[in-house]
Formats: sequence, structure tokens, C-alpha cells
Amino acid sequence: MAKKKSMIFPVVFMVLLAGILTFLLAVINEVSLPVIEFNQKIELQEKILSVFNILPEEATPQEIDSIFNENIKEEDYEGKKLYIQEENGENVAYAVPFDGPGLWGSIDGYLGIKSDLKTVTGIEFIKQEETPGLGGRISEPEYKEQFRNLDISDSSSGEIVINKPAPGGNIDAITGATQTSTFVTNMINEDIMNFINTRKEV
Amino acid sequence: MAGKTNYKKIISDALLYDNPVLVQVIGLCSTLAVTNLAMNSLVMGIALAVVTAFSSLTISLLRNITPKHIRMMVQVFVISFYVIIVDIFLKAYMPEMSKTLGPYVGLIITNCIIMGRAEAFAIANKPIPSFVDGFISGIGYTIVLLLVAFVRELLGFGSLFGIRILPQSFTPWTMMVMPPGAFFILPIIMWIAYNIRNKKKGAKK
Repeated sequence: MAKKKSMIFPVVFMVLLAGILTFLLAVINEVSLPVIEFNQKIELQEKILSVFNILPEEATPQEIDSIFNENIKEEDYEGKKLYIQEENGENVAYAVPFDGPGLWGSIDGYLGIKSDLKTVTGIEFIKQEETPGLGGRISEPEYKEQFRNLDISDSSSGEIVINKPAPGGNIDAITGATQTSTFVTNMINEDIMNFINTRKEV
Repeated sequence: MAGKTNYKKIISDALLYDNPVLVQVIGLCSTLAVTNLAMNSLVMGIALAVVTAFSSLTISLLRNITPKHIRMMVQVFVISFYVIIVDIFLKAYMPEMSKTLGPYVGLIITNCIIMGRAEAFAIANKPIPSFVDGFISGIGYTIVLLLVAFVRELLGFGSLFGIRILPQSFTPWTMMVMPPGAFFILPIIMWIAYNIRNKKKGAKK
């Protein structure tokens, strides 16, 4: 240990160590990448199917993949992906991306709307970092189920979802997570209204 | 460091007399953050134990050729190496868990327990005892996490490991779910552990 305080040895040592460890990490990453990508793909597909309310109760990843490929079409929409459910070549419903700030981090998700733009088919969150047990409950079925078959034909107020008990309210906010609930309805109102308006013009 | 290693002492130190969380009071960030669910705490604890064990092992193997003045850099490097492996593993095989733990897996790198064991033990001891020391320290951390999570999940959600224990009529203590809940529970556990240690010391006299 005595004579090692030269400049060169530490540098060589660090470079070597960095080389070896980084190489190992690269190998591990390469090996597991397909698994991770497959997981992520299936997770997204599951969510999109759930938005359209056509997710089977129990399905293997392969089944989900095939259902997804048979029924869903992708389209670019404002730099993001818009998913379209097709039946016999006709558009049945859209899964529209929405995003916005949450309490701790940004929230991303999809809201499904029937092609008449009057009924919601469902909602899913792709990314959210809200407090578990409070704001995080937006990812729980109880909250999400409220959006199933929600009638949004009356959007004259410029808002399609409103937290109860405000006038015209149609969604129960989460107790103890007022901020998150408000953020979610705001981002839906903004992004989905935008989508509805562009579709109506077409 | 010649002679036999006293494993018994390593184990009792790491679990009680020198428990990383209760006595050294390090690694608190994750203790406060992930303990609202017992399952999260368990996975977090195991992940930390594995990382600590292997990084202690590696640092101990490298201890004779590591230049003294850059040892901290080397330690952090080795630790991050294992943390990234754990992160990849969780993403590939436990995607759900990886999502709930989120940034905390990456933050294992900054968990003082690993660095602490590397500095306090691995840098001066043989590989195998270092491995054991690291692993047991991780287990000591896991136990504390589980104790905190036990109380928090039970009172905050009425469940344990996601299984409902308390009746539906029980009003969950929302406070327990949020980080402040851990601030109340952890010191209580520390206080109890302190008394146990003191009693044992007193008995020896």
C-alpha cells in the first residue's frame, strides 16, 4: 500500500474497474432487454385493452398481444400515440392520451372515448407518482370504474369531467387527495376536449 | 485481521447492538419512504441485503489493490454496479414491484448502510466475513423496515402484505400511509430496542 500515491496507478485502476464493470452491466442489460421490453409492451397493451373495456379477465401475455394486434390500430397524434379500436374496418373507439402535472410528478394516461365522442369507455394511467394510498388510488379500480360508460355528451360547460359535489359533478374525488383529483380532471378536460374539438372539425 | 472471525458477534451486532437503522441511525430515507406496505419493505430490504453483501464482498476482494485515497470512488462505483443489476432484475422479473418501488431502487446507491459497511468492515476484512457482515446488516435493516411497515400497513390500510386483517368498519389512519407516519413509528421502535439493549447490558454486569 505504501508507494501507491502516484497519479498514474489510481487513474489506471479506475479506468480498468470502470471498463470491467461497465462491460458486465452492458452484457446483463443486453440479455434482459427483450424481457423488459416485452413486459413493458404487454403492460401498455393490457392498459389500452382495459381502456376499451375489452380486456379478458385472465389472459396470458401472448393472448393479450394477439387480441391487441387484431383489434387496435395506432396513429400518431400530437407527438404521441392515439389508439383506435376497430371492428369490421370501422372505428369504434379511441384511446386518447392525456398528461399533466400531478402532486409529485407528471401523470400520463389514456382515456377511451366511443367514436360518437359521447361516451367514455374507460381510463388507465400509464405513469403516476402520487402518494400511495392517497393520490395513488387513482390507479385503483374503484376510481377508474367511475369512468366506464360515463356520459359526456353534455360538455357545454367546456368540462367533460367534474369532481362532485360541484354542480354537474360526475366523478367522486379521492378523499384526502383533493390536489390529485383536481389535477386529473383538469388534464382530462383540457386534453380530451382538445381531441373532441379537433375530431368534430374533421 | 488474522485468526478466526467471530460470526456470532457480526450477527448480533448487525441485528441488535449495532443495528444500522436503530443504533447507527442511517438508511433512514428509505425506511421512512417505502414502509407503508409490508411487501414493498420486504423486497426493498432483500434488495438492499443483496447489494450490501455483494458490494462488501467485491470491495473486500479489491481492498489490497485499491489506492487508499480513491477508495470511496471505488466503493460507490461497485455499489452502483450492483444496484443497477438489482434494478434490471426487478424490471425484468418483478415489473409490478419495480413500479411501486420506483426511484427508491436507484436510491439504494446512496443508502448509507452499504457505504457504511464498506468503510467500517469490508475495507479491512476478508471477503467471506465481509459478505456475511453485509448481508446480515441488510437483514437487520429489513427487520426494522418490516416492523415499521407492520404497524403502518395495519393501521393505514387495515391489511398486512395486502391481505385484509382488520374489519371493513375500521377507519384507516391516513396519517400512517404518509411519510410522517414513519416518523412516529420508527422512534417508538428505536426506544423499545434501546431498552432491550440496556437491560441485556445491565444483566451482564
